[in-house]
Amino acid sequence: MLEVRDLKVSFRTEQGLVQAIDGVSFSVAEGEILGVVGESGSGKTVSLLAVMGLITDPNALIEGSIKYKGRELVGLNAKEMRQLRGREIAMIFQDPMTALTPVYTIGWQIAEQIRAHNKISAKAAELRAIELLAEVNIPNPAEAIHRYPHQLSGGMRQRAVIAMALSCNPSLLVADEPTTALDVTVQAQILDLVRKLQRNHKSAVVFITHDMGVIAEIASRVMVMYAGRIVERGSQSQLFSSPLHPYTKALLDSIPPLEGPKPHRLKSIPGAPPTLLNRPAGCAFAPRCVNRFEACINTPALTANGHDAACFRVNP
Amino acid sequence: MTALYEAKNVSKQFSVGSRFSARGKLIVRAVDNISLAINSGETLGLVGESGCGKSTLGRCMTRLYEISEGQLIFDGDDISKKSIRQLRPLRAKLQMVFQDPSASLNPRRRIRDLIAEPLRIHTRKSEAEISERVSELLGLVGLSPDHATRFQHEFSGGQRQRIGIARAIAVNPKLIVLDEPVSALDVSVQAQIVNLLADLQEKLNLTYVFIAHDLSVVRQVSTRIAVMYLGSIVEIGNANEVFSKPAHPYTQALISAVPLPDIHKLGTRKRIILSGDVPSPINPPTGCRFHSRCPIAQERCKVERPTLAMHNSQQQVACHFPGELKIAENKMAPA
Ligand SMILES: Nc1ncnc2c1ncn2[C@@H]1O[C@H](COP(=O)(O)OP(=O)(O)OP(=O)(O)O)[C@@H](O)[C@H]1O
Ligand SMILES: Nc1ncnc2c1ncn2[C@@H]1O[C@H](COP(=O)(O)OP(=O)(O)OP(=O)(O)O)[C@@H](O)[C@H]1O
Ligand code: SF4
Ligand SMILES: [Mg+2]
Ligand SMILES: [Mg+2]
Repeated sequence: MLEVRDLKVSFRTEQGLVQAIDGVSFSVAEGEILGVVGESGSGKTVSLLAVMGLITDPNALIEGSIKYKGRELVGLNAKEMRQLRGREIAMIFQDPMTALTPVYTIGWQIAEQIRAHNKISAKAAELRAIELLAEVNIPNPAEAIHRYPHQLSGGMRQRAVIAMALSCNPSLLVADEPTTALDVTVQAQILDLVRKLQRNHKSAVVFITHDMGVIAEIASRVMVMYAGRIVERGSQSQLFSSPLHPYTKALLDSIPPLEGPKPHRLKSIPGAPPTLLNRPAGCAFAPRCVNRFEACINTPALTANGHDAACFRVNP
Repeated sequence: MTALYEAKNVSKQFSVGSRFSARGKLIVRAVDNISLAINSGETLGLVGESGCGKSTLGRCMTRLYEISEGQLIFDGDDISKKSIRQLRPLRAKLQMVFQDPSASLNPRRRIRDLIAEPLRIHTRKSEAEISERVSELLGLVGLSPDHATRFQHEFSGGQRQRIGIARAIAVNPKLIVLDEPVSALDVSVQAQIVNLLADLQEKLNLTYVFIAHDLSVVRQVSTRIAVMYLGSIVEIGNANEVFSKPAHPYTQALISAVPLPDIHKLGTRKRIILSGDVPSPINPPTGCRFHSRCPIAQERCKVERPTLAMHNSQQQVACHFPGELKIAENKMAPA
């Protein structure tokens, strides 16, 4: 369904070239949910914005290939891309306000979105908007459609955006942290909606989240990003039961427990990720890695066995 | 022990106009008659359904919103009716860190100026003193001095969150309301911020109100937990007790729905599914506000509103049948 090959995204800035994505390849099949986790700033959002053709920064350079149902998306013009988005490919943004305009009611905005791709009357679109808001559990949806975004709580805004993205049963859904502003009971309902889309419409889903619990519930395969590269990928069970990359292991160790004794301090990874400006050679994780050895001054390649890692300890 | 902060019967209403509604203006009861006390040096975790009024309560407590009813007592001083001018000296003591740091940081100002801003407003420090304090603050939150001249877009989410925290602690506050301060961060950065908050609390004797959806983080940071549902507190108590023996059916449902990062437990845990319509704070249900979704609601729950009452020495619960929802019942569905 979606095939990304050697994607590179960089930004020209005052200080120099920021290499945000440095050779990322992945694919998502029909009916598959790919979970994406990683350090904040590692390029999760940027790589998926590239897929959506939504990097508008004139200083951005995009290289590589992005194929959707066999069709090359890199180099497609804005109009062709717009036709695909909304009808076939939908994105839920990390920040709901990027998808909402403050000056219109949410009902109007959802109805517009529906009418952009379906020939139905304004009244019918409004009724559909109410239905969609009910599906994402917004209380009293017939009243809520008349509210402006600032009159909703953070999580209600996020759900309005989810309703909008699901309105056209997209074949490819890209969801960027769609449930971070939601409490766990509403989150569980949203995860059910995503699963329903995947089951009933065989949609492919790319799901970015930093909640490992959500990954455990929803993803079939997982990819872990660090400093603009994929450092590990594998099936969900491989990733949880036998993580390979030291970053993945450290990430799993940082999760506070829900039961049992509270640790005095949480484990975390000392140090900070490298700046992407004039990135140093070698494994990007090396300065913070407990398993570092001489080989790590080179750049490790990602293996290709199904459960892969880019680490010299794993693949000397 | 006298409380550092006390909210007494606090309510906050918004009116939303609907051109299409025959009833005209509608009243949203976002915070409905909440009373709570916060002790000096503790962390009160505030959790609850999206839209239940957590942010609104936080903004009322820091007087960013005018409250509709009730009383706010801070350090023995009634602050609920103070004018903007009278509030000025207090603002420094009562800080808020917002969920989205980038939205609350001016993109055109350097980090140094963002952190200096509260110092310029609330203190009479000289430029040299300000610049010294800014370096000290950068160190406290784990940023380096050469970050001072950068702009916020050059920082990752976790670093921006540290800038927000540096601003909040700049003027030696006593109480900080943290509204989802780690929600947008990956778990390792989240762990760094959680540890940082604990260190600062110890060093500066800070008191926190910590709003979040991630219950394992809330458990880690909180001394006590308050659970909100539709504008009211339904359970409040010692964090360990509330997590190990939740007594309100809503709290039980909430804890049962936490997705665990452990695939071996999938399917072995029971999740309490809340069915029934999600009520709106515009026309809340009669009786217990949770009755329309409560798995054990009785007739009494539809007519009589339960008030917060001692459940045991550690927990207060607003429910007619606290602790009676048993996880083994057939009302549960596998997670
Ligand atoms: N327009 C831009 N100009 C310069 N750098 C940019 C631009 N957009 C993004 N970046 C940089 O690209 C990197 C990747 O950012 P991205 O938003 O994809 O991270 P992320 O993995 O989604 O992080 P988070 O979990 O915090 O959302 C970051 O270091 C960011 O600073
Ligand atoms: N300015 C406003 N005008 C009208 N209604 C509002 C306004 N701000 C909040 N509300 C309403 O008040 C209620 C409580 O909102 P609040 O933002 O406090 O919720 P919350 O508990 O912080 O939710 P979340 O977890 O989603 O952030 C919601 O029903 C919301 O729609
Ligand atoms: S009072 Fe009744 S309806 Fe409300 S939570 Fe308790 S049992 Fe459920
Ligand atoms: Mg992102
Ligand atoms: Mg909120």
